[in-house]
Amino acid sequence: MRSFKHSYLLLLSALSLLATSCSKDDDPIVAEDNLGTGVFIVNQGAFSASNASLTFYNTTTKKVTLDVFSAANGTGLGSVANDAAIYGSKMYITVNVSSTLEVVDPRNGKLIKHIDMKNNGVARQPRYVAFYKNKAYITSYDNTVAVIDTASLTIEKFITVGRNPEQMAIANGKLYVANSGGLTFGNPDNSVSVIDLNTNTETKKITVPANPVSLAADAGGDVYVISAGDYDKILPALTIINGTNDAIKSSETTDIGYGNTIAIAGNSAYLISGDGKVVVFNTTTDQVSNANFITGNFKFATPFAIAVKESTGEVFVTDAKGYTADGKLYIFSREGAIKDSAATGLIPGKVVFKNN
Amino acid sequence: MLNKNIFALNAIAFFILGFSQNTLAQSDSVKNLQEVHIQGITSGVLKSATPVQAITSADFSRYSAFSVADAVRNFSGVAVRDYGGIGGLKTVSVRSMGAGYTSVLYDGIPINDAQTGQVDLGRFNLLNLQEIILYTGQPINLSLPARSYANSAVLSLITKQPQLSVEKPYGITAGVRAGSFSLINPYVQWQQRLSNNWSAVLNASTQKANGNYKFKDNFGGRDTIGRRVNSDVSTQQIDWGVYYSKDDSTTFRLQFNYISSDRGLPGPVILNAVYQDQHLLNQDAFVQAVYDRIWQSSLHLLLTAKASHNYQHYTDASFLNNNGGANEHYTQRELYQSATLSYKPFNNWEISYGTDASFTDMDIDVYRYAFPKRLSLYNVLASNLKTGRFGFQASLLSMYINDDAETNTAAKSKSALSPTLVASFEAIKNGELLFRAFYKDVYRYPNLSEQYYYAVQPRNLQPEQSRQFNAGAVYTKNFDSFTEYFLASVDGYYYKVTNKIFSFPGRSAEILSVRNIGKVDIRGLDLNLKTRFKPVNGYAGLLSLAYTYQRAIDISNPGDSFYKDQIPYTPKHTLALNAGVRHNGVGLFYNHIFSSSRYYLSNNRPEYYVPAYHVSDLSLTYNFKLLKKQFYTAVEVNNAFNSNYVIVKGYPMPPRSLRLTLQLTI
Repeated sequence: MRSFKHSYLLLLSALSLLATSCSKDDDPIVAEDNLGTGVFIVNQGAFSASNASLTFYNTTTKKVTLDVFSAANGTGLGSVANDAAIYGSKMYITVNVSSTLEVVDPRNGKLIKHIDMKNNGVARQPRYVAFYKNKAYITSYDNTVAVIDTASLTIEKFITVGRNPEQMAIANGKLYVANSGGLTFGNPDNSVSVIDLNTNTETKKITVPANPVSLAADAGGDVYVISAGDYDKILPALTIINGTNDAIKSSETTDIGYGNTIAIAGNSAYLISGDGKVVVFNTTTDQVSNANFITGNFKFATPFAIAVKESTGEVFVTDAKGYTADGKLYIFSREGAIKDSAATGLIPGKVVFKNN
Repeated sequence: MLNKNIFALNAIAFFILGFSQNTLAQSDSVKNLQEVHIQGITSGVLKSATPVQAITSADFSRYSAFSVADAVRNFSGVAVRDYGGIGGLKTVSVRSMGAGYTSVLYDGIPINDAQTGQVDLGRFNLLNLQEIILYTGQPINLSLPARSYANSAVLSLITKQPQLSVEKPYGITAGVRAGSFSLINPYVQWQQRLSNNWSAVLNASTQKANGNYKFKDNFGGRDTIGRRVNSDVSTQQIDWGVYYSKDDSTTFRLQFNYISSDRGLPGPVILNAVYQDQHLLNQDAFVQAVYDRIWQSSLHLLLTAKASHNYQHYTDASFLNNNGGANEHYTQRELYQSATLSYKPFNNWEISYGTDASFTDMDIDVYRYAFPKRLSLYNVLASNLKTGRFGFQASLLSMYINDDAETNTAAKSKSALSPTLVASFEAIKNGELLFRAFYKDVYRYPNLSEQYYYAVQPRNLQPEQSRQFNAGAVYTKNFDSFTEYFLASVDGYYYKVTNKIFSFPGRSAEILSVRNIGKVDIRGLDLNLKTRFKPVNGYAGLLSLAYTYQRAIDISNPGDSFYKDQIPYTPKHTLALNAGVRHNGVGLFYNHIFSSSRYYLSNNRPEYYVPAYHVSDLSLTYNFKLLKKQFYTAVEVNNAFNSNYVIVKGYPMPPRSLRLTLQLTI
C-alpha cells in the first residue's frame, strides 16, 4: 500500500509539473460575459512574429488577461494588430501585417468572423476602422477604404482614396480620411479625402500639411488633423477643418509624436506631445488649456496611445516601454493624477472601452 | 497606431541588420599554422593562454557541415543565429556578446562589414578552407594586425595553401555536392606550381537551390503545415591566389575573391501572411596582399593590405509605396592597410607594435542618407613574456574613429584605450595541466547602420563597453591504454557590458531611434572534452563534447519589466556532441546539438518562449582509389530525426535533408 501511495504521489507531482510547464492551456470559455467591466488594450506585437495580442483589464476586479483572443479562440491574432473599435455587439480588430480583419464578441473575445483583407492574394494591409449607420469603414495601405455591412459582415465596396490612408473621422454625414503617403519617404501625400456617407463616394480632397495621420472630430463637427511632416524640413502640424464647409480654420506646426491619436471627450481634446506630455486642447476656443495634464512627478518611458472615458473623464495612456518589451497601461483621474496601472503585451497601441 | 515607418524600417531591418558583406582587415594565417600544432585528428582545443578551438578540413565531414556556420556550431561558447535554409543568414555570437563582437579573419585579414558589423557565415562554404580557428579574447601570437586585438572573439578562416613539389607540380580537385532543396553545387580547385618559390591556387564554385521545405508552425495553439517559398538561392564564387615562399623566412601572397549571391528572402512565418516578393542580390569582391618576413635577428615584419567593394540590391515589390515597391542599393567600399613589427630582445620575451588604418565609405539610396566616410585607426603595443612556468601577455590597443558625412552632420570622432592582460601557469611540468586567465577591455563603436541609417537627426552615441574576465584550465594526457588521448578544458567567465546600443522604432523625426541604454551581466562556463580511442581491428573511435552555460541578464534599469531577465536568444545550456569511427578510409560520424529554451524578447514570458531543440546529423564518408585516382565521397543527413525546431522566432529550420558529395583529386 505504501509503495502504491508513493508512486501515486510521484505521478501527481509529475502531472503538476506538466501543468505548470510552458504550454498554453486553452480553457474553453462558456460564460456569456465573463470578461466583466473594463478595457481592452490592442497590442501590436512585432513585425517578424505573430504575437499581436488583445489584453483585457477588468477595472473592477483589477484582473489582467494578457491575451483574451488566444484564450478564447486557441489561435493568435497574427502580426501587428493596429486598431480596434466596438460597434453594437461586435468588436473589429485590424491586423496590419497579417492583413486580416478579426470580428470578435467583446463580451468574451470569441471570434465571430475572420475576414481576409487580400486583393488576389496580395495583402491590403488594413489600418483603422470607423463606423456609420451599420457600416464599418476600414482604411488599408493599398489606398482603399473598405465598406463592410455590420450585419452580414460582407465587404460591399472599396473606395479608392489617396496614398496609404490612416485614421478617419466622421462629421456631418461625411467620412474624412487622412491620406498619409507615409510609405514613400521624402514624398508623402498631403490630403484628406472627404467621402459622402450617403453615397460612399469620394467628393473631394482637402490639402493639409504633409503626411496626415491622425484625425478626430469634436462635438461641434470640426475635424482635427495631425500631420507628421517629412521628418526633415516639414514639421508636424495640427490643422482644424470646419466640418460644415470643409474650409481650413487653422493650421499650425506643433510638437506632436508620430501617429498619436487625438482623444476627444466633451470640449477637451487630449494628445501626447513629442516630448511625452499629455496636452489638453479646448475644442471650443481652439487653444491649449493645459500643456501638462498629468500631475505629480509621473514620467512615461514611451507614451503611445491615449483614450478618454466619456462617463468619468478618466484618461488612459499606454506606455510602449521602448517597443522592445511588454508595455503598461496607466489610468489617470479627470484631474490628471495617476490612479491605476496594468500590464499589457508588446507595443500597446490602442485602448478600447468595453463599457463607456 | 503603428508607426508606419517602423513598418518600412522593419521590412528592411531584417536584411540590413541581417545581411552582411565582406570588407577587410588582418592576418595570421601562415604564422598561425606554425603556431597552432593540431595534433592528430581530434585535438582542436589548444593548450594556450587564451581559449582556442580549431577544426581542420579533415574534420569538416564529421560535422555534416555545409557552411562555416555549421562547422563552428560545435565550438563551446558559440551560439549560431540561423535563419534557416541554404540562403538564410547565419551569424555567430560568442559568449552572449552578439555577432558584432566576433571578428572574422579571412587568411588573417578581417572581413569587415562597416554597415552592420556582422558577417554572414552562411555565405562561406568550406570547400577552399583548410582550417577554422576560434580565439576567445584574442590570439596570443604577437605578429598580428592591430585590429585583431579590438574584439571579443576572433574567428579565423584559413584557406588551403598550395602543397606542391617538383615531382607533383599541380593538383586538381573537382567535385559536386547535391541533395535536398534541389541543391546542386559543382566546384573545382586547381593548384599550380609556377617556380621554386611561386605557386597559384584557383577555386571556383557555383551553387543553386530552390531552398523550399515544409515546416510546422504553431499559431497560438493551432499546428499549421506550411512551405517555405521565395527561398531560391544562386551563388557563384571564384577566388584566386598567388603564393611566394622562401625558406619559411619570407612569404608573400596576393588573393582575389569574388562572390555573387542572388536569393529570395522567405521572411518570417506569419499568420495569414506570405513574404514572396523580397529579393536580395549581393556582389562582393576583395583583393588582399600579405607580406611576412622574419630576419635572423628575430625581427618580424607583417604587412597587409586590402581593398574591397560590396554591393547589395534589395527589392520588395509588395511594399506599398508610390514607386512600385522598395528598391534599395547599398555600396560599401574599404581600403585597409596594416603593419606589425615584433622583436625578441631575449628568447623568452617578445614585444610588438602594430598599426592599422581602414577607410570605409557607404552609399545607400534611402531617405536622407548621410553618405558617411569612416576612418578607423588602430595602434597596439603588446608584449609576451615567459618565465619558468609562467606566461604573461599584456597589450594596449588604441582606437580612433573619425567620420565625415556628405549631407547630414557626422558623428563626433571617438577614441578609446583598451588594455588586455593574459596570464598562464603550467601546473604540471610536461604541460599536461595549464591554468589560464585574462582580463580584457573591449569597446564596440556604433556601426554605420546604428549611426546613420535613417538618422534624420545626428545620433549621439557612445561606444559600447565591456569588461571581460576569464579563468580556466586545460588538461591533456596521452595514455598507453585503450583511451590513447584525453583533453579537457574548462573556462569560467564574467563579462559586463555597459552603454549597450539599442535600436528601436522612434517616435518622430528619427525613424529609427538608437540609444546607449543597456547593461548586461554575463556569466558563463565553457567546457570541452575530447578523446580518441586506440584502434581495435582497425576501427578508430573519436569522441568530443562541448558544453556552454550562459547566464546573460539585462540589468539596464531596475524599473524595467524585464530587469534581470535572460537577454533574447540566449540559451542557458548548449551541448554539442560528436562521435565517430574511422576504418580503412570509411568514416561514420554522428553529431548532436542541444540548445535549451530561449526567449525572443526581453521579457521572459511564456508568450515569447522559444522551445529547446535537439538536432542530429549523420555522415558517412569514404576515401578510395580508383584507376590510381583519389576519390572522396560522402553521404550526409542533416536533421536526421526530422526535428521540428526554430533558432530564430518565425524562421523554421529545415526538416531532414540529404546531401551527397563526390570528389576527385588528380
